[in-house]
Amino acid sequence: MEKTKIESKKINVYYGDKKALSNITLDIPEKKVTSLIGPSGCGKSTFLRCLNRMNDTIDICRIEGKILVDGEDIYDTKLDPVLLRARIGMVFQKPNPFPKSIFDNVAYGPKIHGLTNSSDELQLLVESSLKKAGLYNEVKDRLNEPGTSLSGGQQQRLCIARAIAVSPEVILMDEPCSALDPIATAIIEELIDEISKNFTIVIVTHSMQQAARVSNQTAFFHMGNLIEVGKTDQVFSTPKEKKTQDYITGKIG
Amino acid sequence: MSNTKIIRESLKKRHLAESRFKAYGILGIISATLFLMAILSTIYIEGKSAFKSTYIKINIFYDPSIIDPEGTRDIEEIKFANYRKIIKNSLKNYFPEVIGREELKNLISFISSSEEENLMKAVLENNELIGSDKIVWLKASSTIDVINKNPEMKNLPESNRLISDQELVWFNKLVLSGDVKFGLNKDFFLKADSTEPEQAGILGSILGSFFTLLITLILSFPVAVAAGVFLEELAPKNKFTDFIEININNLAAVPSIIFGLLGLAIFLNLMHLPRSAPVVGGMVLALMTLPTIIIATRVSLKAVPPSIREAAIGLGATKFQAVIHHVLPLAVPGIATGTIIGMSRALGESAPLLLIGMVAFIVDIPGSFVDSATVLPVQIYLWKSTAARGFVELTAAGVIVLLTFLILMNALAIFVRNKFEKKW
Repeated sequence: MEKTKIESKKINVYYGDKKALSNITLDIPEKKVTSLIGPSGCGKSTFLRCLNRMNDTIDICRIEGKILVDGEDIYDTKLDPVLLRARIGMVFQKPNPFPKSIFDNVAYGPKIHGLTNSSDELQLLVESSLKKAGLYNEVKDRLNEPGTSLSGGQQQRLCIARAIAVSPEVILMDEPCSALDPIATAIIEELIDEISKNFTIVIVTHSMQQAARVSNQTAFFHMGNLIEVGKTDQVFSTPKEKKTQDYITGKIG
Repeated sequence: MSNTKIIRESLKKRHLAESRFKAYGILGIISATLFLMAILSTIYIEGKSAFKSTYIKINIFYDPSIIDPEGTRDIEEIKFANYRKIIKNSLKNYFPEVIGREELKNLISFISSSEEENLMKAVLENNELIGSDKIVWLKASSTIDVINKNPEMKNLPESNRLISDQELVWFNKLVLSGDVKFGLNKDFFLKADSTEPEQAGILGSILGSFFTLLITLILSFPVAVAAGVFLEELAPKNKFTDFIEININNLAAVPSIIFGLLGLAIFLNLMHLPRSAPVVGGMVLALMTLPTIIIATRVSLKAVPPSIREAAIGLGATKFQAVIHHVLPLAVPGIATGTIIGMSRALGESAPLLLIGMVAFIVDIPGSFVDSATVLPVQIYLWKSTAARGFVELTAAGVIVLLTFLILMNALAIFVRNKFEKKW
């Protein structure tokens, strides 16, 4: 039986007066890949950003319900969102490396959290993170070059390395391949498969093929509602809901 | 009619509108350039002569009976000797035909009174001069300077000419003997204001402006950047912060003289800070510059892509760390540009400084933040409002100096923006 990493209970999210998510109850299994699919504006990204409280940065956003990580309520006022975000890393839709060197990009997280004691240790951590993100061989000779000089796919892997460097328990990915070409996408998908052995991954994607390829569990969102969630094979081969069926066959969305 | 035909027929009109708009633009730029050139060339033509002044060659006899009658070489004795008489005697030798008391008085007015002090200094430096002859170039008074710079004035009738017929004869004699020349007007660069145009200089007000702007920068920059960062990045968005934001924007539009009134009421009358001092001027201008820098800071912070903030926050950086480590460095070029532009506005500001007494006639070069001083634009205003003929060119020369500083500062702003703008 797989362990549940994140439990969300009856999540409602409002942007001002507009309700973006209603009554989402969804469990994320540990060290598995969960994909969130659905048409644009269905609330899948909003849900993802609730999991590491990124929505806190939006003033008009209001959240009801409970999200438990390892049984601990992350919206508890006693919990510091900074600590939460160190435990739950994030990779964004558009690759967003800092305008600093490749090394500094990866080293930034460990530096601010004080995870290493010496510069040698930091060097090793940066290298191992880049290796885990499958980028090391491509950049090992130019760690001091700006991160933004890399190609789009490399930049996205740099962002993954940057997230990995903090050793989070969960990595959230918000459409990580939407700005990438098919080859770069394939590399990232392989990488997701690889790192899912060690991390719990939640990925939002527009591409149903991608969801089918990389994930163990799939959740289908539609207009702020969670329509269906299940094992990826099951959702794509024998969806229980008509809407899911319509979406994966291309009738809606 | 087919669509192609409709479109083709409308094309001519559409292209015409475009070229008409272009023509307006070019016309605007040309006329603006012409006006600018007209202004600059007038100022240049009027002001350039202030950088040179007329010198008269005279054989000075350092008469021991005047400088040091007792032969003690006592410094006090030398300091307070009658150097005017020495100049007078030397002029007498040059113009033996002049004997009348009144005439001699007119003759000695050819030489700037500042030369008495210069002679004294020369003697103090070198005692050996006493009792000897020496050919020196003495600075002419402003009247002679004006005549020399505007030779056409010699043809005017006596009543319109500044100098009498007789004086003109003397002057012509000097010119014919080659004893009149133009030299660099060092006093203009090395002295402060004076009642005599040929002795008035710009250095006093340059230093006044420098001290004032230094105070302005020290006070306004850190406060404004901190306020901008707080308001833009850290403060909660609510009615209160909206209210503050509106007020800051309004403050940027408040006429500068209001800030002068505030400085007069609070800094001078309430806090009893020294009048006419750069420290007070700097405080007033800092208040005026604050909103400009705050707005520049906020605009530059806003222009930093939110993805950078998200990347840092997503890694577990605090809001403050995200701003300090990533957002603020990217906003530096914009903030620096805004600051320099704010500072150049402060440099050109005169109205608020009039109210706190920086409009005084000050002959000493300020040496500190609390010395009485005036600033460049006020100095220009003071010279402009002085009647004597020689101040006209000084005014224009002052404008040239002020414009030079403004252009340098704006060039610095452009340089900073290009240099530190990260294009990666």
